Amino acid sequence: MASRSSIAELGNKLQSLPKPALYLILFLVASLPLIKPIPLPNSPDPASIDFYAHLMELPEGSKILICSDWTNSTRGESMGEMDALLRVLMRRKIKFAVYSIGDGQAPRVARETIARISREEGGGQPLYKPYEDYVVIGFFPNGEGQTAAVNTNVRAAFAGKTDISPTGQREVVQSPVFEGINSLADFKYLINVTASSTNTVILERIKKTNLMFAVSGVMVPENTVYYASGQLKGLLGGIKGVYDMETLMEYGVNNPGPHMVTSAAYGQIPGFPGKANTGKGTAYYPALHVCLSVLILAVITGNVGMFLSRKGR
Amino acid sequence: MDYQLFKLTCGVVAILGLYTVLYRENKFYRFWEHVFLGLAAGYSMVFLWSETLKGGWWDKMVGTTAEHANGSGASMAYPFYAALLPIGLMGYTVFNKKYNWMSRVPIGIILGLYSGQQISAWQNRYVPNIVSSMKPVIPTTLEFTKPLTKGLSKEATAAINANLYPSQAITNIIFLVTLLSVLSYFLFSFDVKSKIIHRMSLNGRWLLMIGFGAIFGSTVMMRFTLLIDRMYFIWIEWFKQGILHR
Repeated sequence: MASRSSIAELGNKLQSLPKPALYLILFLVASLPLIKPIPLPNSPDPASIDFYAHLMELPEGSKILICSDWTNSTRGESMGEMDALLRVLMRRKIKFAVYSIGDGQAPRVARETIARISREEGGGQPLYKPYEDYVVIGFFPNGEGQTAAVNTNVRAAFAGKTDISPTGQREVVQSPVFEGINSLADFKYLINVTASSTNTVILERIKKTNLMFAVSGVMVPENTVYYASGQLKGLLGGIKGVYDMETLMEYGVNNPGPHMVTSAAYGQIPGFPGKANTGKGTAYYPALHVCLSVLILAVITGNVGMFLSRKGR
Repeated sequence: MDYQLFKLTCGVVAILGLYTVLYRENKFYRFWEHVFLGLAAGYSMVFLWSETLKGGWWDKMVGTTAEHANGSGASMAYPFYAALLPIGLMGYTVFNKKYNWMSRVPIGIILGLYSGQQISAWQNRYVPNIVSSMKPVIPTTLEFTKPLTKGLSKEATAAINANLYPSQAITNIIFLVTLLSVLSYFLFSFDVKSKIIHRMSLNGRWLLMIGFGAIFGSTVMMRFTLLIDRMYFIWIEWFKQGILHR
């Protein structure tokens, strides 16, 4: 029978595993599912279904406004959301204008992401032409004032800002994207892809058009409240939101089949089978599960260690 | 090595350099930390001018010629914009003991503009929340769950949606109990003697803790996703697509 001191020693050891070893284990378990993908079943959240369905219900040629407030620091979640959003918009031929109020680097990051998705969707050639099909308006440091101005007079709010056109720098409000746009209400949606508090800045000030948010995982609890109250028409939350969008792009909604996604709120909404729908969501979601399992195991180990060390005293 | 692969390799070395701090503080980590800070500071200086001051202030103050007007025609100069410069510079007097009172002028303007928006902002953010919290709790039909509306006519769907089913009523009751319990927890202004309110307050504390736990769980998941993304960058974007498939 083990003595009390050896039990206490074991307990102490379990509580003081070397940190570098734990980090190494974490790096390994985060990497393995990326190298050897693990398929996971998915049941998209109603908020994600709403997000996808509203985009799919837009008539071809509609225009939307995107407030892109993420940079490379939250690439893990926000880039997947932006990728999925852009794929749907480009496949549906919906023109869009992008601006930022959260970070000065955000317009540059958005521009590169749009160019990459445009090339991927066009089979190596850009599917969407800058200035013709989309404009990147730029960064506005006073988010509160700018958002209020966008709600009041969208053309005046963006006047003077320029973007790259085939004939050099030109004013964004002269671009084809702004044809027929006289009020914010002419944009069917304002979609905020954000990893910062710009969601509340927009929520508090935008009244003339519908809102949909794509937020990072840590912001999901707060934004679920706004979705539940109907202030948001759709919501993508973290990597689960990305995986939901990729699932919906593959299978659509209420389309019979082995992976049918059901929703009582909508009729049949098509997906885009055969296209490159999977991306970061499909790759990261299994890895996240493995990491969380290791975390839970580590918590249990620490607690068992504490229990043993107390018992051995 | 082409430029794209060189760029990716620099990214990988920077990531590994920054992660070495997990082992211990070292010079390799410090080097990459300072590279990052230098890049961020330099970038900030450029975009402060190009994204903020030039278009929002300089061009308006000096006007633009047709040659530089980007398709919108020449614009007039408004010298009044020059008055914004001293107001902005007043902000820096905060570092001077004698003149720091002047910094209150720009701060006051900003506070005034912000405060002016707050009534409308509060209303826009919270009133729909409050309205949607007023949920019915008495069922209007005995059929327990709401039937599926898929494939039904608009009239039939509307008739189904008009009812409150017992399953929905239970959900609403749980919501209202949670709402009232949490609100009662914040009754700090007077001494609560009622046992019922005391119980509700205790219940509210537990529910708040469960909520905070859920928020913390979301935070942990986000941090893990950031790590997974870095591993994806190293193993897939750099090693698999950059090294192996080049």
